[in-house]
Amino acid sequence: MSRLADLNFFAKLGAAFALMILAWLAPDWRWGLPYAALIVAGLVLVRVPGLRGYLKGAGLLTLMVIVSWMINLTIQGLAPLDALGVAAKMAARLVATTALFYFVMETSSPGAILAACSAARLPPIVTLVLSLLFGIIPMLRDEFERIADAQRARGMEIDDVSFLRKLRFALARGVPLLVQAIRTAHAISFSLSLYGFDLGTKRSTWRRVGWWIEPAMSFREPHK
Amino acid sequence: MLLNVDKLTLGFGTAEPLVQDADLALGEGQRLLICGATGSGKSTLAMALAGIIPQILPIPQYSGRVSLAGENVTALPHAALFSRLGYVAQSAEDQLWDLSVEDIIAFPLENRALPRAQIRERVRALMTQLQLTALAGRRVLTLSGGERRMVVLAAALASQPTLVVLDEPTTGLDPAARARLCDALVEAAAHVSGMIVTEQDASALAPVCSDLALLSGGKLAAPRALGPALDDAALWTGAGLLPPRRPTPARTPPATGPELLAVAGLRTRLTRADGAPVLENAELSLKAGEVLAVIGRNGAGKTTLMKSILGLAPAAAGRIVLGGTDATGWTIARRARHIAYVPQSMRQILFHMSVAEEIDFARSMGAGDEDTATVLARYGLAGHEETNPFALSARQQGQLGLACADASGAAIAIVDEPLLARDLHGRALLETFLSRMTGSGRAVMLISHDLDLVDDVATRLAIVADGHIQQDGPVPEGWHSPAFAALGWPLPRAHQRTAA
Repeated sequence: MSRLADLNFFAKLGAAFALMILAWLAPDWRWGLPYAALIVAGLVLVRVPGLRGYLKGAGLLTLMVIVSWMINLTIQGLAPLDALGVAAKMAARLVATTALFYFVMETSSPGAILAACSAARLPPIVTLVLSLLFGIIPMLRDEFERIADAQRARGMEIDDVSFLRKLRFALARGVPLLVQAIRTAHAISFSLSLYGFDLGTKRSTWRRVGWWIEPAMSFREPHK
Repeated sequence: MLLNVDKLTLGFGTAEPLVQDADLALGEGQRLLICGATGSGKSTLAMALAGIIPQILPIPQYSGRVSLAGENVTALPHAALFSRLGYVAQSAEDQLWDLSVEDIIAFPLENRALPRAQIRERVRALMTQLQLTALAGRRVLTLSGGERRMVVLAAALASQPTLVVLDEPTTGLDPAARARLCDALVEAAAHVSGMIVTEQDASALAPVCSDLALLSGGKLAAPRALGPALDDAALWTGAGLLPPRRPTPARTPPATGPELLAVAGLRTRLTRADGAPVLENAELSLKAGEVLAVIGRNGAGKTTLMKSILGLAPAAAGRIVLGGTDATGWTIARRARHIAYVPQSMRQILFHMSVAEEIDFARSMGAGDEDTATVLARYGLAGHEETNPFALSARQQGQLGLACADASGAAIAIVDEPLLARDLHGRALLETFLSRMTGSGRAVMLISHDLDLVDDVATRLAIVADGHIQQDGPVPEGWHSPAFAALGWPLPRAHQRTAA
């Protein structure tokens, strides 16, 4: 897993796009479902962090996609079994897509993304957007868990309750999460201004960047 | 002059400006400490001296002039200004995001597109100078508070600035981290032309700074020598601060009641890198009327002990007994009806849309029956019933935390690093809370790195080290115990003088 974290962000992003296109080209559910399952199995195999949470979300997504497509297609007059086939194909595409990008997101630190973008001499705005897009979501997810712990510690029974109550309490986390998201945005914009981030200047990087991105500075090597 | 401040007035649109007509002249090589109570305007002034106000954060009221080597900071381009001025914010988190240590230090240099070899050389030099090499590759959000602040300091020094401004750099650090930071500041001061530090606790920065200017009532006093000022108690109380060399208040042995909490043979499921449990066979009790202070190094297991009691960290063995009933199998929420938790950052546990709703919620969780207005008035929040808790200042959120814990009527309160107690007013609020709790047959567990606070208010001291509670007993005994000696920390100041 740690070796995959060091793989160049663009290599992972490119591979994710290629595999996603294959998922969307699958002719029907007989191809789509095994392909999506294979991708999810790959995530399990390489031990992507936070996989349990992702699988819960993917399960919910699959259920919602299948139900909504079934209703839609049945209303349009398609036989239920045919509608189920189409719905399963769509769900497989979405699961494959989300799993691939979840992998990219979880295995790419904002620092590694910054380095990859800077080494590629991308415009600073692209560098910033990619780093934030893939880097902030895991931070906010961790924050969501911390807030849940704080709610528990103040006496909110959020574990041993019905699904609906759980959902309501999860929504209550939205307020502090929003505040935290704003604080994070402020911290980022403040540090960008203070440390001289300029949309007109292409950044450089301290890291050595190739197929692999140097994860840390070694203090044993001779100075280069 | 390195920095010249002329009639600087700063305000946020209220009738009275926060800082009025401040004058200051900082010469080459001068290291100035600015002290003031919470809310006195220290952070605002520090940001104005660093040019952040108004260059990055414009405020409604800004007049006067701040000049760096004769140039008005408001007229300098961003890049030129912030390569000559380094700044470390009070909350290091305000300058950090989820990057690695090297990324943060290199960030200002990368943004200026310096060649890789040059950046690496500078980062390497700073990490070696500030003894950060062991943190190479670590993501900053996984570091302790002290480590984060050292990384931000390194980033502030990356551009080789002429002046460095630090806003309350020692807040919340344990004595060892504070000493390391002060050593780093002394080292850093040798490489910059000037340094300005704001703080509430002057003695911590005495080895770093030579001069002192007090900020009180919106006025910045003229600088004076720091050393002699430390003994002038009236000077500090006049500025709303705790005198650095105050005696320990007289101790009266607490009248203790029944046992409210017992931790027996606790072994945590959470383990250290070597596979050993974070806490092993931990034993602790808390009786009505006690204020138990828990101290220890970062990573010793204090937070895990607190989380185990709250139920947030699962136990592999042992029992938690609350009010005589085995609570080991209770849910976290059920335990919370007996234990009120006041974290260091209240922001994490607020989730209602008004202060009154937060108090109502706290009351509904426990046995409290006082009306909201009375509780809020006690903790200096009268008239804030309808205020959104997230609109309160960090200090006011801390006050709200105490109010919620009091209002809940919970038998035990766990207070984690109460930073509001660093000035006279905040200390008075904390003492009100402690006397309310202990006077009504309840008890408080206080987790803090502030040994002077512990010495002043605790009735018992527990020292956590290497996964065990190594010392548990009266506070004065604790300072002279082998467990405390093993920490290598200085004694609280009152005891240092006694020892001398």
